Amino acid sequence: MSKQCFFKQHNIQHIDYKDTDILKRFLNPHARILSRKRTSVSSTNQRKLAEAVKRARFMGLLPYIAR
Amino acid sequence: MQKMTKETAKTEKATVYEVGFHVVPTVSPENLPKEVDAIKAILGSTGATVISEEFPKLRNLAYTMIKPIGPVRHRFDSAYFGWIKFEGPKESASEVDKALKGSDKVIRHIVIKTARENTIYGPKILGDEKREAGKEEEAKAEKKAPATQEELDKSIDKLVS
Repeated sequence: MSKQCFFKQHNIQHIDYKDTDILKRFLNPHARILSRKRTSVSSTNQRKLAEAVKRARFMGLLPYIAR
Repeated sequence: MQKMTKETAKTEKATVYEVGFHVVPTVSPENLPKEVDAIKAILGSTGATVISEEFPKLRNLAYTMIKPIGPVRHRFDSAYFGWIKFEGPKESASEVDKALKGSDKVIRHIVIKTARENTIYGPKILGDEKREAGKEEEAKAEKKAPATQEELDKSIDKLVS
């Protein structure tokens, strides 16, 4: 059975760049954004997620690279 | 008429902005409210209203940020991070952006369009997941029925022989 989108499951309409606890789930150990294949997030939310991660990186809340 | 209402709804939604900012860690905690009030004053002068905010808290940055103040390039590993959500015209967002760009007390800032309601779900979701994990463990422990004395004796005998 296919896994449902995390954000739809939790009824999250707006992905916030300050919500680093959630954003960290979608990063690999090198702090790169995981692909849709791995995250099972819907296309719309994957785009919002990518934008939120990039904003968090700009604001120094998440690293650009790790390890 | 329907189109009109849709359009007005769109513009209402679009006018909720948020400004996130890092204040330099060299500012003393007593002077922090002054910095926040300065940003709020800019918002007030442009006709924006504050919806919600978080007072700046000292936090470590994910990487070293460089901010040129005068002729010197300062390096920062930590900063006071705070945010203000506000509703107002486009100009209020651009005015805050301009003001923070020229500020020596703000290392970095971001102005984005956002939603009126609370958009931070992390603590709630993590809390729920912890609770569920705890319940599952309890259920597992309950499933394992305690062994009777006879069963224990038998197993010990088997091991001994």
